Amino acid sequence: MSNRGLVISGLRAAVEGKEILKGIDLTVEPGKVHALMGPNGSGKSTLAFAMTGHPNYEILGGSVKLDGEDLLELAPDKRAKAGLFLSFQYPAAIPGVSVANFIRTARMAVRPDDLPPAKFRQMIFEKLDVLDMDPAFLSRYVNDGFSGGEKKRLEMLQLAMIQPKYAVLDETDSGLDVDALQSVGRSVNAMRNADGGKDTGFLIITHYPRILQYIPADAVHIMMDGRIVKSGGPELANVIEREGYDKIRDEVAGGVA
Amino acid sequence: MPSSTASIAATAFAPAADTLDTVIDLIAREGVRSGSAVDETTRRDALALFADLPVPGGRPGRGWRYDYDNVPFDDLQWMTGRLGIATMPLPAPSSDPAIDRPALETDNAGGLVHLGATLLEPARALPVDSRIIVLPLADASRDHPKLVAQTHLKIAGWRSDRFAALATAFQNCGAFVYVPDGVVLDAPIQLVFTSSEAVRAAVFPHIVVVLGAGARATVMERYAGEGDALVCGIVEAHVGAGAQLDFVTVQQADPEARIFSTRAARCETGATMRWHLAELGGALARSVIDTRLAGPGANAEASALFFTGGMQHVELTTTCDHAVGQTTSNTVVRSAATDRGQGRFFGNITIRAQAHGSDASLRDDALLLSKHAHIDSVPALEIAANDVKAFHGATVGSLDEDTLFYALSRGIARADALRMIALGFFEPVIARFPGDRLRDEIRTALDRKIDEATEIDA
Repeated sequence: MSNRGLVISGLRAAVEGKEILKGIDLTVEPGKVHALMGPNGSGKSTLAFAMTGHPNYEILGGSVKLDGEDLLELAPDKRAKAGLFLSFQYPAAIPGVSVANFIRTARMAVRPDDLPPAKFRQMIFEKLDVLDMDPAFLSRYVNDGFSGGEKKRLEMLQLAMIQPKYAVLDETDSGLDVDALQSVGRSVNAMRNADGGKDTGFLIITHYPRILQYIPADAVHIMMDGRIVKSGGPELANVIEREGYDKIRDEVAGGVA
Repeated sequence: MPSSTASIAATAFAPAADTLDTVIDLIAREGVRSGSAVDETTRRDALALFADLPVPGGRPGRGWRYDYDNVPFDDLQWMTGRLGIATMPLPAPSSDPAIDRPALETDNAGGLVHLGATLLEPARALPVDSRIIVLPLADASRDHPKLVAQTHLKIAGWRSDRFAALATAFQNCGAFVYVPDGVVLDAPIQLVFTSSEAVRAAVFPHIVVVLGAGARATVMERYAGEGDALVCGIVEAHVGAGAQLDFVTVQQADPEARIFSTRAARCETGATMRWHLAELGGALARSVIDTRLAGPGANAEASALFFTGGMQHVELTTTCDHAVGQTTSNTVVRSAATDRGQGRFFGNITIRAQAHGSDASLRDDALLLSKHAHIDSVPALEIAANDVKAFHGATVGSLDEDTLFYALSRGIARADALRMIALGFFEPVIARFPGDRLRDEIRTALDRKIDEATEIDA
């Protein structure tokens, strides 16, 4: 179908009255990986929160459609049910709620009654294994006292268990050591190779290109000052790696001037 | 079939001395069996004290509407005595099978069930360990006068607390639990107080628990049932050297009931006292927990939670008195309020001058789930010794927006997310309650409180 895809059109959003997103156009097709790169403060995380419906982010204009469904009309939980998943840069702790209980509740909410408890257990143990996580993890409270790496692994575990239509990974690589990054890469690739995740489209928000060594991108977009200033193939990430953002900033400034 | 009961209706109970006359007459007629562990002089002294003692917690104001001077005492039914019945009834007439039904016929080491202040006596004896005593307090004072005289009204502050004085003046039921040296009970002893919608019962229980050296026991005190009972009681726990007592209170009284409880423990050398308190019901619930660490190595733990919704008021005061050195205490309180519920917590730690090497901690966290709900937290540490460790921390706040958003972003509906986070908030205290079954019961009860709330939000 032609309207399939996570389609962001002319999206403008503000935080505390200040316009941060100044018109974003970006389409993530099913099964494709798009990388969104840019320097700190360019608005990458704002895009993630605006799409998922965080109450602090005010939409000024534009639209976000998921396989044709207008996400901006929906409450945050309904956006998740529609098939959107956000891996948080700073996931919140939920003391007193176990990882197992939380993931089971989330899975049931997004995909009601599709997995009997025994299958759920089998599936979660498989995913834990791919992520090099101890099963004891399941009885801990969600993100409560977790290290940075544990938090990111838990985000990946949820991603693998929920199997959304589209996943936004907000700085999942930040603060991770090489081992953890490899685990994250393995988990995402395992999901993309499995039946339930083949069609999942990814938007990987990152400052550094290194995560793309583990999860190869089909397209790379560069964001600066609330706009996408350049889009290209995977080679664009290598340009950033070699030359940093300054070169592109100059290029864009030159173009405008 | 009734074996012996009596009741009078006292109207416009102030509570006045003439009401006390009537109650004393009733108890005299009923004899020792109906609950006269307190003599007449003590009752009159106690009532005089009630009139003179200050109202605890000060006058009503912002954040606390309840006026203790206007606790309605009208039309109370003073039932006393006992009812013979064929089998032990399920103690609470509840439609929800998951809660309110302590298994008195199984999984316990004995117990007593009351309807109002009337003891329900099953024809079939409870499986009480022959070495222990579980008796109505009045029976114990007849059969074990020395033991009762040594332990009854010895540690509860009935001369200094207004409502402990009231409980003493009108004492009309109670229990005596004695576990001798070295006896270890695995199953709990259950003391149940239920009420019926038909009667506005006056229930003034006095529970005395005595553990000999090295003994171990769990005593569970439960309030359940329907009707706007007035409960005003005392618990005294004597924990012998090296003994361990878990005292559990699950208060799920009718939404119109008013419940006052003063609980006190004295811990000898190396003894451990653990209080577990869940205040969930009642229009007004006031609890005092006083623990005195009297011997070196004594340890006290208090784990309390309350959930106040509708127009409920819950007040809790804990005091841990480190009378000697090398003693430890640890108090953890979690509370939540919805609708127009109000709560307040007074947490006190006293470390006396000679109590070197003591270690005390006090932690209390309150969650406000509606903009009209209110909880106050008032910790007080009084430390006269050097070389001690003392910690206290308190928070009062609403539900964290980012936590809520995180759950929402996973597809969990707002109401479910709020419920999940609010229940999770209580887990650190629930985890300290003994037994899976009890913990699940508390979770179910809290879940129901959330169902009943008309206003819950971040």
